[in-house]
Amino acid sequence: MASFKKTQIRSLPKIGQKVTADTLYWRKLNFPVTVKEFGPIDYIDVMPIEPYFIAVSSAAKVQIYNPITHQVHRHFTRFKEAAYGASIRSDGKLVIAGCDEGHVKLFDIGSKSLLRIFKGHKGPVHRCKFTTDNVHVVSFSDDKSVALWDLPSETEIIKFSEHSDYVRAGCVSNISSDLFLSGSFDHTVKLYDARSPTGSTISVDHGSPVESVLMYPSNSIFVSVGGTELRVWDMLAGGRLLARVSQHHKTITCLHLASDGKRLVTGGLDRHAKIYDVQSYQVVHTLDFPSPVLSLGITPDDFTVVAGMANGLISMQHRQTQAEARALNPKQSLKVQKKSQTAYRFRLNADFRSVNRTFNPATDVEVATKTDTNFVSRYDMFLRKFQYSKALDTVLTPYIRKKKPAITVGVMHELIRRNGLKSALAGRDDSSLSSILTFLARNINDPSHANIIIQVANTLLEIYESSSLTPQSEKLFLQLQEHVNREVEYVKHLMEIEGMLHILLASTTTQARRGSPNVVQGSPVKPMLPSAAAASNATMIYNVG
Amino acid sequence: MVKMANKKTRGPDKTQANTSDIVVKKLDDATDIVRQPPVFTNDSKYICIASGRQIGIYSVESADKVHSLKEHTVDVIGLAIKDDNILLSCDASGETIEWNINNGTMIKKAPIVVAGIKEFHSFHYPGNGKFLVATPSMYTTNMSSLWIVDNYTRPRKLFADIKSTPQSIAFGCNQGNGSLVVVALQDHSVVVKDITNGVDKKHMTDQRKFTCVALHSEKLIMATGDISGRILIWHDFVHKSRPVKTVYHWHTLPVNSVCFSSEGEYIYSGGSEKVMVKWRLGMSRKQFLPRMGSSIKYIVNAPDNICVATSHSDNAIRFIDSTNKINRAIIGLVKHDPIRGFADTEPIKESVMPTGLVFDPRSRGIFFNAQAGFLQLYDPQKNSLIFNMDVANRNVLTDERNLVIGNAEVLRVAVSPTGEWLATLEVWSNMSAGYHDMNLKFWRYDAVQANYELNTDVTMPHQDRVTALSFQPGLLGTEMPCLVTIGRDLKFKIWRLVDDTDIYRQKESWSCDVAGDFRKLTPSALSFSEDGSLMAIAFQDTVTLWDPTSINLNTTLSHTLVQEPIELMEFGRDHCFRYLVCASKSALYAWDVISQGLVWKVGQLQSSVRCLVPDPKSCFMAAVLQNSEVFIFSPSSSKPVHAVPKMNSSEPIAALFVPRSNPLASGPEWLINSRLLIVDDQQEFFCVDDVSSAGFNQKLTTPISHMDSLPWTPFSAMRAEKQISAAKQLVPVIHQTSGIQGYKSVQSLLETSASALPPMSRICSLFMSDLMIKHGPKAVTAKVNSVDRTTTDLPFTNGHIDTKTEDFNEETTLQKLLTLDCQWLVETVK
Repeated sequence: MASFKKTQIRSLPKIGQKVTADTLYWRKLNFPVTVKEFGPIDYIDVMPIEPYFIAVSSAAKVQIYNPITHQVHRHFTRFKEAAYGASIRSDGKLVIAGCDEGHVKLFDIGSKSLLRIFKGHKGPVHRCKFTTDNVHVVSFSDDKSVALWDLPSETEIIKFSEHSDYVRAGCVSNISSDLFLSGSFDHTVKLYDARSPTGSTISVDHGSPVESVLMYPSNSIFVSVGGTELRVWDMLAGGRLLARVSQHHKTITCLHLASDGKRLVTGGLDRHAKIYDVQSYQVVHTLDFPSPVLSLGITPDDFTVVAGMANGLISMQHRQTQAEARALNPKQSLKVQKKSQTAYRFRLNADFRSVNRTFNPATDVEVATKTDTNFVSRYDMFLRKFQYSKALDTVLTPYIRKKKPAITVGVMHELIRRNGLKSALAGRDDSSLSSILTFLARNINDPSHANIIIQVANTLLEIYESSSLTPQSEKLFLQLQEHVNREVEYVKHLMEIEGMLHILLASTTTQARRGSPNVVQGSPVKPMLPSAAAASNATMIYNVG
Repeated sequence: MVKMANKKTRGPDKTQANTSDIVVKKLDDATDIVRQPPVFTNDSKYICIASGRQIGIYSVESADKVHSLKEHTVDVIGLAIKDDNILLSCDASGETIEWNINNGTMIKKAPIVVAGIKEFHSFHYPGNGKFLVATPSMYTTNMSSLWIVDNYTRPRKLFADIKSTPQSIAFGCNQGNGSLVVVALQDHSVVVKDITNGVDKKHMTDQRKFTCVALHSEKLIMATGDISGRILIWHDFVHKSRPVKTVYHWHTLPVNSVCFSSEGEYIYSGGSEKVMVKWRLGMSRKQFLPRMGSSIKYIVNAPDNICVATSHSDNAIRFIDSTNKINRAIIGLVKHDPIRGFADTEPIKESVMPTGLVFDPRSRGIFFNAQAGFLQLYDPQKNSLIFNMDVANRNVLTDERNLVIGNAEVLRVAVSPTGEWLATLEVWSNMSAGYHDMNLKFWRYDAVQANYELNTDVTMPHQDRVTALSFQPGLLGTEMPCLVTIGRDLKFKIWRLVDDTDIYRQKESWSCDVAGDFRKLTPSALSFSEDGSLMAIAFQDTVTLWDPTSINLNTTLSHTLVQEPIELMEFGRDHCFRYLVCASKSALYAWDVISQGLVWKVGQLQSSVRCLVPDPKSCFMAAVLQNSEVFIFSPSSSKPVHAVPKMNSSEPIAALFVPRSNPLASGPEWLINSRLLIVDDQQEFFCVDDVSSAGFNQKLTTPISHMDSLPWTPFSAMRAEKQISAAKQLVPVIHQTSGIQGYKSVQSLLETSASALPPMSRICSLFMSDLMIKHGPKAVTAKVNSVDRTTTDLPFTNGHIDTKTEDFNEETTLQKLLTLDCQWLVETVK
C-alpha cells in the first residue's frame, strides 16, 4: 500500500540577502554601548584571558575597560603627548604603550605604576607588542625602525632599520618569541627573525601603505591590510601571495581574528567591519558603525565586539545571552523550545530518504526543500478523506492565509487538480466567503501564485454570480475588481516602459553597427583558459567590486 | 520509397545483406501477466500465471518464478488446477495441456473439439473431466456462447449471448451433494443453470449493467457487481424466481471483480478506485485496503484462505496477507494507459507512451512510460524490469463516476551521455478548465544509494508544451552538462548545471542559461551532432545550426524543394556525421552541414515517417513508417540497405537501436553491433534481428558488466574496476565542422605569457600536428562543394534525387580523409 503523498507546497524564495549561519550568529549582537573619548581611538587590545579587559589608547591616555560593566577599570595618563598602541601581556598583568616622544612605557595593571621606560627611538612609537616568552618587547616606530627590547634589563637587544617610511603596523608570532612582522607606509611588510640580526627574512610588497598586519596562529600565513586591499601571504613559501581581497571602498585600518580563528574581521574608514571566512576569503557578514572605524577588538569567546572610531566613540556590543533572548521575545523563545522538543520526537521516525531540495533565487527555478517530518497536516488529512471544503477551511485561518499564503495556494492547486474546487467553494456563508475574497484580493498580484489565484477567482465568480449576496460580500467582490484593475493598469505602464527601452536599445545597436562596419568574420574568439601548469603556478586572485 | 526498396541495395563498403536472414520477432516476456486471472495450486504454495503463450509458476512465499511453461503456440485463455499437482491450461485454439506443477513437465496434450469452432474465449474447469468453454457467438459480435464439454469431445451448449470476459462466468454451489451450478452474465441479466438438477433461471434487475459474478463454493449464494459500483448478494437464486437480495454499495466506479473467501465468510471486491474492500457476509462491517497503485482487475483467493492475490492494471500481481497488508508482489513490465483527453488533439504518439524509448548508457536499459507519473527502466538483455520510479510524486487520483480526473503524465525523458543526469518533463492538464501544469525535473544518479535523486524542479519551463529535450552529447563528463528544450511558445532554452556552492554547503543546480527564438517560428525538432559541437533546431521547413557553447547562429538551411514542416530530424553517426536527415510529412531528405547543400531527397512517401533512429554503433539509421514498414539506410545515400515489409496492422509508436553486448560474428553491417527494437500502439515489443543471433531471451555468453548499477557494498568494491577486452573503446570524437584549423593552438600560444609556457620541446609536436590537420578537411570541403553544385542544378525527377555522381574510389578516399586522424597525415608528409 502506497502511503498518502503530501500536498506539494511551492514557495518561491525571497529576493535579498541570504540568511546564513553567519548572519544569524553576528546578528545576535546587542545594541552597542558607546563611550565618548576626546580623540580618535588609535588602538584596542583585548586581554587574552578572562575577564577580557580591553585596553584602549586614545589621545594622551591608555584606559582599561571592563567589558561587562563598560566602566574604566584603570587608566594610565603618564604621557606628555599622545599615547599609541597599548597592548596587554598574555598573563594580563602588564601593559605596554608607545608615545609621541619615542618612548615605550611599561605599566603594571594591578598597581598602576610605571615599571620601565624603553628609550631609543627617535620618532613616535605607534605599535608595541610583548613576545610570547613575555620577557621581550617589540616596538615599531616612525623613525623607520623596529626594535626588540629586553624587559628585565630595559635594554635594546636588536634594531632593524630597513623600512624607508613610518612603521605603523606590527605583530609578533605566538609560537616563536623570535619572529615578528612589521608593516610600513613604504608599502612593504617584513618578517624578522631575532636570531639572524643581518636583516629581514621575508619582505613582500603590499602595494599601498600598510595599516595593519596579522599572523595566523599556525604561523604559516600572514595577512596585511592597507589601502582598500587585504592581502594574504604564504610564509612557508617565502611570501607567496595567496589572495587579494578588496571589499572596502575606503582604506582598511584594522584587522582581527574572530570565532576561534575561523573568521577574519577588517574595519575601514567606510564605517564597515567585514567578516570573512578564512578559507575562501568570502565576506559572510558586515557590521555597520556610525563613524570611520580605526580599531577593532573582539574577545576570544566572541562575546564582546569593541570598535574604536575616528570621532572618539568606542562601541561595545555584547552577544545576546540565552536569558536575554528569552526576556526580549518570550513568545518566540517558547516556540523555539517547543520546536526542539518536537524535532526530537520526529527525529526518531524521520524519513531520511526524503529528497532535499533547495531554492535557487536566480530565476523562477524552484529547487524546493521537502519538509522531512512525517507529520500529516490537517489539510492533508481532509484531502485524504475527500473533504474538500474542510481542507480549504483549514488553510483559510488568519495565520496561514496571512503568514503562509503558499500553503493556501498549494491546497487550492491540489483542489484544482482533483477537480474539487467548485464543491469546496460552493455554499459558503458570509464570513468564510469574505476570508476567501480578502485572500484573493491580497494575493492576486503576486506573480508566483497568480495563475492559481485567477483560476480560483474565476470559479468563485462563476458560482456566486447569480446568487444574492450580502452588501459586505458585494463590497469585497468590488474590492477584488479594483485590485485587478489596478494590476492591469500597472502592467500596462510597465509594457509602455518596456517599449521605450526597446526603442532605445534598437537605436544603440544600429548606431554601433554603423560605427563598425566590419563585423568580426570567421570563428568567434574564445577567451583562453590557462593550462594546468599555468594554473598551478598562478596565485589565487580575488577581485571583487 | 517502395520503388527504392525493390532496387538492389548498393553501398561502397557494405557487404550484400541477405534479407532472408533478418526476421522480426515479438518479445514474449514483455506481454502482460494480468490478462487472465491467476490460479493458486491446491496447497496454496504456488500461483500459476498466464502471460501470452507462456505460463509462469511462481512461489507464493517469495514471489519468484519457479517454472516457465512454453508449449502453447497461441495465447493462453484459461488455467485450472486438475489435481493436487496437475495444472490444466487451454489456449485460444482449444489445445489443452496438462502440466506437472512440481517439475514443470508436460503430461498430456489434447484438443477440445467443438464442431465448427476454431476460436475460444475463455476456459473453466469445474471438475470431473468436464470443461466450460466460451466461444464467439454466431450472430452477435463481442458476445460468447458457453459450452460444457465432456471428455474433450462431447459439447453441449449451455447459454448463448453471454459476456466474454473471464469474470462473467462462474460455477460452484455443490450444496454438499456434488451438484454443479453455472451462472453467466448478460448485459442486464444473470442466467443460471443447475446442471445436476436441470433447472434454468434468468434473473434481471434494473438497467444497471453487470460486470462480474462469483458463486459460493458450498451454499446457494451468488455475488454480482455492476457498473454503478453496487454488489448484490443473491440468496437461493436457483429455485426462487424472485430471490432475496442484499445490497453492498461502497464503490463509485464499476466493480471489476468479486471473490468469495474459500470458507465463504467474506467477499472481496475491487475496481478502478484502487481500493480492495473486504465485506463480511451478513454484516455491514467492511475493511479497506486503499491506494493499491492501480485499478484492480481480478481478485483470487488462495484455497487455504491465508492470502489473496489481486491482479492490477499496472501489470502487477500483489499478495495480501490475512492482516490486510500487501506483503509481496510480482511485477511485470507496466503498460502505459493512454492519456485521456489527449487523443482528440494530439497524434497517437503523444497519448500512448509519449516518452518513446530512451536508452540509458549507464545500465544499458531503456526508459519509457509506466503508469501515470511513473517511469520505468527495462533491461532488454535480461528482459527484466530494473525499476519503476515515481517522477510526479503525487497521489494518483481516481476518476469520479461521470468525471475524468487526469493525473500528471511524464511526456519527455532525456538521459545525459554519461547517464549521470536524467531530465523528465511531466505535464498535467485539465482541458475543460484550460489550466495546465508543467514541471521539468533533473535527477542525478547516486551510485552509493543506487537510485536517482531529485536535483532541480522547474515549474513551467516554457509557457506552452515542450516538444523535445536533449542533452548535449559527446562530452563524456568533461564539461558541465547542458540540456536544450524546445517548446510551442516558439522558444528554445538552454539549461546548464550551475555550481551553487558556498562555504556552508556544496550544491549544484540547473538553471536556464539562454532562451532564444528564430523569426517567431515554431521549433519542431532538435538534434545534436554526435560530438556535441553542433546543434540543429528545425523551425518549420528551416533548419538552423547553432554553436551550443556560444549560442551563435552558424547557418540556416532551407531549400525550395523541401517546404513542408520538419517533423523529425537526426544527425548521422560515425563517418556520416556531416549528414542531417530530416523527415517531413511526405518526404525524407538529408542535408550536408559542411557544404550546406541538400544531398538527397525521397519524396511522396507511402505513409509518414514515425520514428527516425540512428544506430549509435554504426553510421546507419532506421526510418519506421506509420504503416509499420522499416527502412535501414546510411545517411550518405538515399538507397536503403535493408527494407522490412509491413509487420502487421498495428502502428509503430517508438523505435530504438539497442547495442549488443557481444557483436555478431557475421551478418549485415547494421546488425553487428546493435539491433532494432520497435514498440507498436498496443505496446508490444518487436525486435528486428538476425536469425543467427542469440535472442533477447537466451543466456548471454559473457555476463554484462553492471559495475555502475551495482550498489556500493564491500563485495562490489572487490570487483575489478577495469576489465581488459579487445572491444573498441568508446572515445569522444570531435568533428571539425567550422573554423580554421589550429587557430586555437596558435591563439593559446600567443595568449599565454612566455613564462607560463611549458618547454618548447614538449609542446612542439602537439602544436605542429594541430596545424597539420588544417589541410585535410579543407580539401574535402572543396570537393564536396563541387558535388553540391551539381546537386542543385539537377532537375527534380521521379520524386527522388541522388547526387552521388562521384565514383566509388573517390568516396572511400573522402571518408578516409575524414575519419583518420592526423597520424595518417604525418605519415604521408614524411
